[in-house]
Formats: sequence, structure tokens, C-alpha cells
Amino acid sequence: MTAEYPLDPEAATGRVLDGHLHLLDRQVHDVASVPVTAVSDLELSDVDSIENIAPGTPAPEIVALLSGSVLGTRIFGGRPPPSRLQRIAWSAVDQVGVVIRLAVKGETLDATWSERWVRDHIIGRIPGGRHDPE
Amino acid sequence: MILSDVLGAEVYGDDRLGHVTDVRFVLGDGSSEQAMPQARLHGLIVSPHTKSSPMGFERTQIRSPWPIAQLEHWLHRDSFLVLWEDVAAILPGRIQLRPAFTRYSPRLVKAAVPEPDFQ
Repeated sequence: MTAEYPLDPEAATGRVLDGHLHLLDRQVHDVASVPVTAVSDLELSDVDSIENIAPGTPAPEIVALLSGSVLGTRIFGGRPPPSRLQRIAWSAVDQVGVVIRLAVKGETLDATWSERWVRDHIIGRIPGGRHDPE
Repeated sequence: MILSDVLGAEVYGDDRLGHVTDVRFVLGDGSSEQAMPQARLHGLIVSPHTKSSPMGFERTQIRSPWPIAQLEHWLHRDSFLVLWEDVAAILPGRIQLRPAFTRYSPRLVKAAVPEPDFQ
């Protein structure tokens, strides 16, 4: 039997997001609806003296969506080094729904650097690889 | 700080209370120029019996598929939300709450994200 607790004062305001339920692992689309990546983690703003939080300390906010290879650390624990994670600033997010839609083009993001590298250094060297098919 | 530093951490009041299964954010008033308002950490969802809740059955009115919903409700029985004001310390793998913290229901009445329509 589940205990009955009072309802969260923000639960019915329509302004609530649960990080794991609504953001983690969601696909991210750019402004042109092109898939960019998926959300692996969230970066939160720092809190002063996090090991002894004073009453009235402002709550942290979401700074960025993080993407990268996290499968290994989810299975075996730990966290990937920050250099292995690409950041997408929260200010670039336009809409959160079944997918997370950005207000910017995917080509401007660090998260797509590997695709751009393959395009420029491998696909682009194949004859006919630098233009649309005729 | 990143979210996975908090997810799965053990939560303590006077005694051990459970694990953080999710983190709730509240969107700002949207008065700034950016499309999506700032999302401020509102509280932690704590489950006494399990470490993870990726599907959130216990927070929504979704009741199907029936066996999975029943199992999820049972696994997450007695889950509660504790607000940021009641968090005293965030340590590696451990979160300490203030004395006399308040437990709220983790139920989501209306989220900022529309629920998928399976009808």
C-alpha cells in the first residue's frame, strides 16, 4: 500500500519536468527536424558549498544537455570524462516533447563534429561525394 | 554538477530513506527571450525500494500494460518527493536531508511535456 502524502505544490501547474522521465535518452532534433543526437545527461549549475547547503541557497538550473557515449558507465558505474561529452546549451532548446527540438541548426553544434569530419575527410574524397545525386 | 551525480544516490534523513530515482525541475515564467524558460531544480524523487524509475508509472495515470504497471507501482510504493529546500548536503553517492523535512506525493498531475496519446 502506498502512503498518502500531500500533493507537490507545483504538480498541477503544467511547468514541471522530471529529468529522467522527460529528458534523458530523448532524441534531439535541430530546427530543421534533422536528428542530432540523444540526451545522455544534464549539466546543472554549480551550488555554493554543496556539501553543506545553507538554507535559502538558490536551486541549481539546467545549463546544458550532454550527449556522448555513456553506455559503459551506466553498466559499470563511474562517469565519462567531461571531454567525452558534448554540450548543447539549454538556451538552444526550443521545445520539449516526444523529441527535444532545438532552435539552432545541428551543423553549428559540437555534437555533430564526427558526422562533419566523416563528410569532409572520407565521403568528400569519393568521386561524386561533394554534390547531390543527379 | 551533472544529473547522474544525483540519480541513484542514497538518501538519508535520520535513517536511510532510499535512492533518488528522478529529479524534478520547474520551468520559469518564460519572460526571457529564449524559447524554453530556465529549468530550476525543484526536488528529488526518492524511492525506498529501488534505484531507478525510467518509465514513471508511479507518477502518472498510465495503467497499461497492466502487468508492468502493477509491477512498477509495487516497486515504487511509498516513493516521495522532497523539495530542494530540504536538501542539506550532496555528497558523492549520498544525499543528506534536513531534520523534519516534508514528504510530498511524486504524482504528476500536469507536466510541461504532453503525455503521448495511445488511444
